[in-house]
Parts: sequence; C-alpha cells; structure tokens
Amino acid sequence: MIIDYLVLSIILFCLGIVGVISRRNVFTVFMAIELMLNAANLAFIALSRLHESMDGQVLAMLVMAVAAAEAALALAVVILLHKHTGKLDTNVFSLLKG
Amino acid sequence: MNCDIVPIIPLGIVGLGAVILMMLAAFEKIHLEVAAVFSMCVFALAFVMQLLPTGPSDMAPYSELFRGMLVTNGFTKVAALIILACGFFTAMSSTSYFRQNSFCTLEFYCLLIFSVWGMLLLTMARELITVFISLEIFSLCIYVLVGYNRRSATSAEAVLKYLMLGAFAGSFFTMGTALVYGAVRSTGFAAIATFIAENGFLETPALVGGVFFILFAFLFKIAAFPFHAWVIDVYDGASVPVTGFMATALKTAIFAVLVNFLSLDAGLKGAWLDILFYITVFTLFAGNLIAIGQSNLKRMLAASGIVHTGYLLIAVIAVGDNALSGNIILFYLAAYAASTLGIFASLSYLGGQDEKRCSFDDFKGLAKVRPYSAAAITVFLLSMAGIPPTAGFMGKFYIITTAFQSGQALLAVLGIVSSILSMWYYLRLIIAMYFHEANEPFEIEASPFAPICTLILAACVFAIGLYPMVI
Repeated sequence: MIIDYLVLSIILFCLGIVGVISRRNVFTVFMAIELMLNAANLAFIALSRLHESMDGQVLAMLVMAVAAAEAALALAVVILLHKHTGKLDTNVFSLLKG
Repeated sequence: MNCDIVPIIPLGIVGLGAVILMMLAAFEKIHLEVAAVFSMCVFALAFVMQLLPTGPSDMAPYSELFRGMLVTNGFTKVAALIILACGFFTAMSSTSYFRQNSFCTLEFYCLLIFSVWGMLLLTMARELITVFISLEIFSLCIYVLVGYNRRSATSAEAVLKYLMLGAFAGSFFTMGTALVYGAVRSTGFAAIATFIAENGFLETPALVGGVFFILFAFLFKIAAFPFHAWVIDVYDGASVPVTGFMATALKTAIFAVLVNFLSLDAGLKGAWLDILFYITVFTLFAGNLIAIGQSNLKRMLAASGIVHTGYLLIAVIAVGDNALSGNIILFYLAAYAASTLGIFASLSYLGGQDEKRCSFDDFKGLAKVRPYSAAAITVFLLSMAGIPPTAGFMGKFYIITTAFQSGQALLAVLGIVSSILSMWYYLRLIIAMYFHEANEPFEIEASPFAPICTLILAACVFAIGLYPMVI
C-alpha cells in the first residue's frame, strides 16, 4: 500500500524533470519544479506512515513553506521578464550565451 | 556566562542587524551609505564575536532545544569568519559601485545581511532539512541580488536562469532527503553516521540514491563540471559586488557543508571517490578552456572560479581523517576569497558608469594612469594564478602536497598542469594593463571605500600567504 504512494511520488518527480527539460514556457517550467517538490513531500508523508513517526509530516510542512517562498519570487521574476520582452517563452531570452 | 550561547551570538547579531535595517528601510529613514556602514558594523561585530573561544572540539549549542541540529567546531568557526569577512568587504565595495550606478535601494544591504545569515547557519547545520532551509534562505536572497538592476534585461535573464536551475537542484535535494529519511528514519547527520556504521553504505539502495541526489544539488551550487554552464551567465548578468560575493561567500558556505556531509563516514565518501575524481578533472579543464576563450573580464573570472572549484574538490577528495585537511580547504578558501573580492572591489570602482569598462581591452594602459590600482590588481591575479609569495601559492602548495600524500598523484599532477594553463588568462590582463598605452583617463567618482577595501585585501593576500599557521 505504502509502496504505491512511493511509486506515485517517483512518477511525479520524473514528470517534473521532463517538464523542466522539455517545456519552453516559464510558467510551465516553474510548475514542473513545484511538481518535483511536491513529489518529495508525498514521499516524506508516505515514509512517515511507514516508519510510524510524525517527523516526515513536519518535514513536509517545512518544504511547503520554502516552496511557497520560492514560488513568490518566481512570479516576481516572471513579471520582470514580461516587462522587458513581452513574452514568456524561454527561447526569446538569448542575451546571455554561456 | 552560559557557554552554549557563545557560538550563536554571531548568528543573533547578523539576524538582528538584518531585521533592524529592514525596518529602517521600510520607512526610508536613513541614507544609502549609512546603511552600508551599518551593515559593515554588523559584520565586523559578528566577526569579533565569532573570535570568542569555544574550544576546538564538536559542540552542539542548546542540544535539548535544537536536538543536535547545529554543531560548531573549529572548522565551522573559521568558515563563518571567512563568510563574515566576505560580507564586510562586499558592503564596502558596493558603496563605491553605487556612486556610479543608481539602481540601489536600502533593501540591497538587508538582502546581503540576510544571505550571510543563511550561510552562517549552513556552516553549522547537521540535519538535512536545516541544510535545505538555510540553503534556500541565502539562495532566495542571492536570486534577488542578481536581478537587482531592474532596468537591465541582461540581469533579468540571469536571474531567470539562476532561479530555474537553482530551484531544480533544490528539488533534487528535497527528494534526496526524502530517500535518506526513508532509509535511516531520521535526517540528522549523527543518525545517518550511526546507520552507515551499523549497516554499511552500499547495502541500502534508498540511502545511496538519496546521497546521490544530495551530492547532485551540492555540485550544482559549487558549479562543478556537468553543472558549470549557468555560472558564467549568472556572474555576467549580476552587478560587480554581487558577483564577488557569490563567487566567495557562497562557495565557502557550500564547501563547508559538503565537507561536513562527506566526512560523516568513510564508507559514504569512499563510494563516491571515483566519480568525484572524474568530476574534478573535468571541472579543472572545462573551466580553463572556457576562461581562455573569454574577452569579458567578469566572464573570465567566473570561468576561473570553476577552476578554483576544481582545486577545492582535489582537497575534498584528498581529505583524510585528520583535522589538518579541513584546514587546507579553509586556507585555500580564504586565499581565494581575498584575491577574488579584491579584484571585484577594484572592478567596482574602475568599471565606470553602468559597468562600461568590462573587457580586457578596456583596461589597456591602466598602469600608466592609475599605477596603484594596477599594482593591486596584479597582486590579486598573481595570487589566483598561484605565484609565490602570495596566499594563492601557499593554498595550491598545500592542496597539491596533500593530494600526493594521500596517494592521488595523478590528481596532483593534473592540478599543476591546470595551474600552468591558467597563467594564460591571468597574465593577459596584466599585459594589457602594463604594456599598452592608455586610451582613456579612467576617471572615477570620489569614494574612498572601494580603494581602501582593495588596499586591505592586497595586504591580506600577503598576510595570509606569509603566516599560513594562523589558520
């Protein structure tokens, strides 16, 4: 039963990686990153059930707080970029070629 | 005095200073340069408090309250000293930088102090979620600092790139922590060490996977080989003082926690030695090749930062069980921080308005017009290249001798080869400064802070080099 949750968490994590790598819209990329963080949260909660301790749930709450802070900053960056270029496609950002 | 509080005092001072400055900034009561002086005072006070003796061995302040999540020892103390010094000199050189660039507000210094706070916490953290949170505290501050110039499209792109990749690495760290928690039932370093000692490292697949993800995140943050591409663009897009701060303080904090993490157990480190070996070799040579091809100074310094990450990784691999090896990493970090901060401090007053002077050609003939600045830059470059009697030479010397002693002769030889290769791009700037006629007068707006900062750091380069036993 708990294994199913862990498998789901790993599937979500892989979907997140694919989203970050393949999508070109800034919003979709940030959503994919949130998906990865939430996959880790799901794993924390499932494992906390497995170990029968509350630690995992506390850790999941902390990760959610950090993820919220990061999302706030990401939205600010999206607005900043939209002011400069009027588009949110990562292909148009080409001033820096590393 | 309760001695539990002594290691926490610097954290308290820095955190309180940041909050006070944020309050003042909200009401716009103070002038920008007053804020800079205030943050310098905060860093200086915390630095002095950090020097209070606490004993060399491991000590967990308030272990009942924090459940052993924070541990201080000699290593974390010196790492924190380096970080505080980086913050001090960054605040000092920003004052001169913002005489010529006008996008500064009071929050710049708040974010600087908050990020130093996160780094100080990171050096002490002995619990994976504490590591994650302190990592994010200073990362979030540095994302904002990178994109601080809102009118510049370049810095907006830099912050997008950094934020996307940084958050990506951060989510790997969280997943790694979840896997480690699944295997060990705890995220404390002490519990992980006990677990590995009882069950062995490679016998638990979830633990191996978790540690792999965690190392992935660390290697990303220090810009080691497969994850080095972001660093050049981000350093290029950020303003000069912020670039200097990122290159030094951030690297010190991450290396401190990386060493703490890898030295948990010999089995944990032994399993990754082969992979770390190849990562180190590729980091050294990829960094050198990128640096040789650059014509922009900031991009060259970013690429040379990758090479220095490579040297530090040599030291991490060669670290033995004795405490001396940790000191070698700190010595190199201090030497590297002094010379890198020095170069960025001089760039921040020589760069001119909107950083108009940024390539090698723009600094032609600097020695004819401003001989002292040129001499200081030469000192910093020679220290980064590793020429005696500078601190950089001593640092490289210690790292390479340790590598030989621990049987990593190939790594030591490759380190020397890469050091010779790196002369190419360091000497190029020296030649541009000394052997060309000056095309322009290099006028600067009068602000004594950054030149004084350059002078102090040039003295530090020799002092660290001449008195290696201080650390």
